[in-house]
Amino acid sequence: MFHQILFLMSAALTLICAVAVLVTKNMMHSCIFLLGSLLGIAGLYATLGADFVAVSQIMVYVGGVVILMLFAVMLTGGKDFVSKAQNLLGLAPSMGNKWTFSIAGLVAVVFGLTSFLLINNVTKVVTIKTQNDEFVSTVNQLGHLLVKNHVLAFEISSVLLLGALVGAAIIARPKRQ
Amino acid sequence: MITLTSYLFISLVLFLVGVMVMLARKNIVAILLGIELILNAAALNFVAYSRFVTNNLDGHIFALFIILVAAAEAAVGLAIVIRFFQIKETIHIDEATQLRN
Repeated sequence: MFHQILFLMSAALTLICAVAVLVTKNMMHSCIFLLGSLLGIAGLYATLGADFVAVSQIMVYVGGVVILMLFAVMLTGGKDFVSKAQNLLGLAPSMGNKWTFSIAGLVAVVFGLTSFLLINNVTKVVTIKTQNDEFVSTVNQLGHLLVKNHVLAFEISSVLLLGALVGAAIIARPKRQ
Repeated sequence: MITLTSYLFISLVLFLVGVMVMLARKNIVAILLGIELILNAAALNFVAYSRFVTNNLDGHIFALFIILVAAAEAAVGLAIVIRFFQIKETIHIDEATQLRN
């Protein structure tokens, strides 16, 4: 019962905030709604019994990525800029106009209908009966998996993070006079 | 009853919203927000299959690496956005027409 209430609340938070990211006109509000959507996904991970993934989601996204996005919005802010470049749809403001939203909606409808056909086949896969609502902690098993079976990917990911850190610092350095 | 299909439906809606954000916006930071939504939809699929079909922890490992790659991608992408703003004084995507200067 508690799982179903948590699932419904998390799903509603995720979907409502995701749609709000799409329709709001203010970039700062859009980032805050993305934060709500990511918190809802963390709640969905919790209902799936993935405690370590849920905590990682909150720490990395809410503590890191959304803060980084907010800093980028504040550093690059200003008035709504209309590009002078000629394109197919005329002059589009930076948060989109009705033409860009029409094209995006058409693509979403086509892809959504295609995906419904795919999901009809996918849901025929045999799902196991998981009747135990008492989840066990996955941290111990995940630690063993990360340093035994997946140790190469673990090490490569550390090199990737180091490269991303150094690359971001080099790219964003101020202009040399 | 919570089944695999409900998680797949949430993931599909998240993916479609992410695609719409990427296509409708002309702001580079907003396009990065759309990419984050799409990556989260993929990670949610992995964890849902890991719970309902395979019943082991490989999906959790995949979700952790997706979170890691998304964090690295956001760092590099926002550095590129800030550099672009230093050069062009805007972050409108239609102004990004040349690779040099």
